Amino acid sequence: MKLSSGMCPGLDENLLRSLRAADIRTVEDLVSSDIEDLAQKCSVSYKALFAIRRVLLAQNTAFPVSGADLYEELLSSTAILSTGNPSLDKLLDSGLYTGEITELTGGPGSGKSQVCFGVAVHIAYQLKQSVIYIDTTGGLTANRLLQMLQTETNNTDEQMEALQRIHTFRLFDVGALLDCLYGLGGGGLHKVCVGGGSVKALIVDSVSAVIAPLLGGKQNEGMSLMIQVAAALKTMAKDFSVAVLVTNHVTRSSSGEVQPGLGVSWSHVPRTRILLERVESGASGRRSATLIKSSRQACLIKEDFDLQWWSRAEGERGGETSGKRKLDETDT
Amino acid sequence: MNAVRMRRPVSSLSLGSSLKGKLVRAGFQFVTDMQDLNPEHLSAEAGVSQQEALEALQAASSGHTVAPVTALELLQKEEEFRNIVTFCSPLDEALGGGVPVGKVTEICGAPGVGKTQLCLQLAVDVQVPAVFGGLGGQVLFVDTEGGFQVQRLVDLAGAAVHHCSLLAEDEEQRVAMTTFTVETILSNVFLVRCRDYVELLAELHLLLDFLSDRPRLRLLVIDSVAFPFLHIHDDLSQRTRLLQGLSLRLIAAATDHNIAVVTTNHMTTRLRSSHVQLAPALGDLWGHAPSIRLLLRWEESRRLASIIKSPGHMDATVQYQITCQGFRDADQSERPQSKRPRTQTDQSASSRENTRT
Repeated sequence: MKLSSGMCPGLDENLLRSLRAADIRTVEDLVSSDIEDLAQKCSVSYKALFAIRRVLLAQNTAFPVSGADLYEELLSSTAILSTGNPSLDKLLDSGLYTGEITELTGGPGSGKSQVCFGVAVHIAYQLKQSVIYIDTTGGLTANRLLQMLQTETNNTDEQMEALQRIHTFRLFDVGALLDCLYGLGGGGLHKVCVGGGSVKALIVDSVSAVIAPLLGGKQNEGMSLMIQVAAALKTMAKDFSVAVLVTNHVTRSSSGEVQPGLGVSWSHVPRTRILLERVESGASGRRSATLIKSSRQACLIKEDFDLQWWSRAEGERGGETSGKRKLDETDT
Repeated sequence: MNAVRMRRPVSSLSLGSSLKGKLVRAGFQFVTDMQDLNPEHLSAEAGVSQQEALEALQAASSGHTVAPVTALELLQKEEEFRNIVTFCSPLDEALGGGVPVGKVTEICGAPGVGKTQLCLQLAVDVQVPAVFGGLGGQVLFVDTEGGFQVQRLVDLAGAAVHHCSLLAEDEEQRVAMTTFTVETILSNVFLVRCRDYVELLAELHLLLDFLSDRPRLRLLVIDSVAFPFLHIHDDLSQRTRLLQGLSLRLIAAATDHNIAVVTTNHMTTRLRSSHVQLAPALGDLWGHAPSIRLLLRWEESRRLASIIKSPGHMDATVQYQITCQGFRDADQSERPQSKRPRTQTDQSASSRENTRT
């Protein structure tokens, strides 16, 4: 943090100038330097500098919190949002946790966007909370969201209400993504909340589409921007108690194994990771989800589920019939 | 409830890295540290030029954040633009009306299966006047393989004009037919030939200017996107990066300017454990770029089109065929209008022999 006059008593323009001459510009520099040495260099009294340092430390230190207090806080502020699909909920230990980043990874056509749509619709309609959906792939189709809502309810007003709770952004480069995230964090979230329901979920589909082109080769900004995005997402998740869901692509490792994209540095960012794959045999909507990283459950549990879960017809919850086809017949 | 505001670090701004480095070294870690300064002050403290200081302050001001669009507004926008029909009704049904505007659609298939034919058909279909249910739009056709044949486009245009003239019932439609002729169809197709990937990327850089000059443009065809990139063998990671940048640009153009982007792709063999499989070329990372993927293939003597990826519709397979009038349904008996041109002499200038038995 930059040193400026008036930050604490005794820190006036003259002192600031002499400190700057000694190459002390930020609070960190002042606090970590040797006070005696500095007092001699700037010809200021040792006591004055010591007092300033004490005030700055008091103003800016993070205080340790006991585990019990932290647990209390977590219990009161964390919510678990169901995804709407029981198989996925089982993998996620009952759903998406607020304050954390969950990642869905998979190859093209594996169903990542469909799962994101389903989650958005479920949270907007069943849980009646607002959702922020950032789309970087161009795949967001409001018609599909409407299709999913139409299986939940026939009431058009309720459908429109739920659609109004899903706030979408379509961005295609990392600068715009960072602007958007910090815009939301700097007060934009409150503007979005006007109208009903606080924002409980933030979905970014996909985070790799804007970051992957910047990595590798002679570019050196890529990693830094990736970590900036990670920091912004984590801060938003924690400070605003939202559940963050991101999607990622897959790459093949040297041995031919499928692994999530964006490399090892990104792999530390999400708390939970699920790999989606097409099931070779079976109906076209079947996918398998494997838990590949979790701090709560044993890894590598696999669940099969149907992408059409979110659009199955009213009387068939739990069945496997093609809910979508029935929908086409009853569509106006 | 909480007045928590996230502080934006200076290193996340979209500025040059040397400028950011100087700002951070001068102690400006967060955007809030610099916001209240004027450019002279900032340039003196950070040791940067006045212009750089101005640039930094502009980037720091939070004025240019985009407002969110609710899903309801998005739905209304989607219903504004119709889809581009392919003239093969089972395929149009499976796609929910046709090739959608605002999305990137990819057509994959082995050589000779009909990808360029479908592209030419779409180039004609996008121009069908609005009174007939079309978009009345123009098309930019980027040809990288040399597969574009004007004569074939003339045939398809003639068949489409004939089809619409048979459908014209009221005065409005008859008036529209006067502007929907083979000549106007040809004049609304802008053809660009790109010989390698550098020309292709350059052309797409100029695309935005082209689009702003032509608000009626509703379709961009790239036939094919694979061909120029298949020649890059030495630096595959560079190829992947170029393709990803290309895909972002195409998706941005499709979404921001409401155009349908159609690309064609080749097939390549993929070794999967013990068996060999045909898969779309250019790799998995390119596979994330198109929102919709159509696979055209042969099965014995039938031509099949499958939807293998779509955000709004289920995977489906339909049969199609390519006649002298273009891309059509497989079973001609369901389309009585197209039967008539076979027995009458066609109004197109060239003579063609009838390929139907």
